[in-house]
Amino acid sequence: MNAADFNYVRNYVRDQSAIVLEPGKEYLVESRLQTLARKENLISIDLLLSKLRSDSSNGLHRKVVDAMTTNETSFFRDIHPFEALRKFLLPELAARRAQERQINFWCGASSTGQEPYSVLMLIAEHFPELLAWDIKFIATDLCGEALARARCGRFNQIEVNRGLPAALLVKYFVRQGADWVIREDLRRRVDFRELNLVRDWPLEPPLDIVFLRNVMIYFDVETKKSILAKIRRLLRPGGYLLLGGAETTFNVDDAFERAVFDKSTFYRLKQT
Amino acid sequence: MIDLTKLIEQANELAPLPASTVRLAGLIGNPDCHLDEVTELIVFDQALTLKLLRAANSAAIASPDRVSNVREAVTLLGTAQVFALAVAAGAKPLLQTRIPEYGLNEGALWRHSVAAAVAVETMQAVGSVVPPPETFTAALLHDVGKLVMGRFLSPEILVLIRRAQEEDHLGQLDAETLLLNVHHGELGGLIAQHWKLSPRVVQGIIYHHNPEQGQDVVCDLTYLANQLAKRIEAGLDGRTFDLNISFEVAERLALTPKMLDELCPIAASRYVQVRQRYNAV
Repeated sequence: MNAADFNYVRNYVRDQSAIVLEPGKEYLVESRLQTLARKENLISIDLLLSKLRSDSSNGLHRKVVDAMTTNETSFFRDIHPFEALRKFLLPELAARRAQERQINFWCGASSTGQEPYSVLMLIAEHFPELLAWDIKFIATDLCGEALARARCGRFNQIEVNRGLPAALLVKYFVRQGADWVIREDLRRRVDFRELNLVRDWPLEPPLDIVFLRNVMIYFDVETKKSILAKIRRLLRPGGYLLLGGAETTFNVDDAFERAVFDKSTFYRLKQT
Repeated sequence: MIDLTKLIEQANELAPLPASTVRLAGLIGNPDCHLDEVTELIVFDQALTLKLLRAANSAAIASPDRVSNVREAVTLLGTAQVFALAVAAGAKPLLQTRIPEYGLNEGALWRHSVAAAVAVETMQAVGSVVPPPETFTAALLHDVGKLVMGRFLSPEILVLIRRAQEEDHLGQLDAETLLLNVHHGELGGLIAQHWKLSPRVVQGIIYHHNPEQGQDVVCDLTYLANQLAKRIEAGLDGRTFDLNISFEVAERLALTPKMLDELCPIAASRYVQVRQRYNAV
């Protein structure tokens, strides 16, 4: 892939999604575009790029942005935040919201659904009484293909092997052929929606817990600031934000402060 | 990316392990398993009995008397090692396959697998850690996923993986995950499930490069066994290989740098003896 082609793709992806593809990521762009070209029955990346440049109405542009999103995820990813949810945050929320009996979650980069389903399994296992509450769980992603898979709640054996304890697999999933499908009562509880983090957010405040893990790493500082400012407006006072292990609000938005629970760090709004 | 459905299908199409080995897995996984039950199961499989006796009488065993029956062999070797030998016997033809996509000539994967199993024996013998019985099998099979993965790695994909390593400084595992959405450890875990091996063996194989995600000592030890195996092989080829054990793993296993330094030459000399036992199966 030559420099002009790489720049064309990286500028387009950046305009549409704010995902920054640094020089050196040419191999990644090539890999993802090769897969897309094959899916579209195009014999080469060159042909794909020429179609992209010549016609903006063929739907390919959207597919390119989808292809460049990284959908890496797993059940109970990095485990410690889930331990913190179980030991500290959910008991605290359950007590604080006991009168309203309502908790609002938002997972802002839900990919194929493992994260929201992990939280729901955690609630079902340890706080089953909360399932009788008005639990709103909105899960969004930029990638339509990933969302379609998340809505189905169907996972292959490799995906369920990633972080999902066998006891939970047997309890909350049903075998269908070679795949596993999440139990209907849990699947129905998640409202999967398409959302571009750099466009408008049609979300209803206030949110009690926001999961936005391993997505800010792809953005520049200005985009991070704008996203954190929006979260600030949506988060209920005392609510929590969870970022990825390599992400922080420090030096990006000072309205947040760290809240450390054992081995994981959440963020909440500073009290004024 | 590669077609995960086809990849999973191919992993599930590998020839199963012999029925006696699968039944043995069930027995060994039971903490109350009795020596008599293990012996009884093995003697009904003539081929396995022969292989086991051959292994028990190989030069690796410092027994003054010839081992003439299965019971003596099981007593001498221990149930965990007997099971690892049974798995080795079943998987040997596969593990000897050449996998050029990973730079493995015929027999290279087998040698690496045996070196990893021997590394676990060394850890046990040296006494720094007590490996759970599943560790031997997890170490032996930790790279079995490469067998199936190799078939899917076209020259174009191999070039991209190499570029991810060179241009983005990613390790093999991260490059595979980023570009293929699966890595050879995960595929190995799938094969171990297909072979009806225990969940701890499966986890040990899946997380042999990233044991912190496995959250089990078998994962830590399989990771360490893989590193030690590389060191052993490098030593035999006259190369150097710096053991670069993650700090967290060393801490969890209570291994000091000094202990690791001591472990390496012992594992290397032990390998030269013990590989004959595995080669005998």
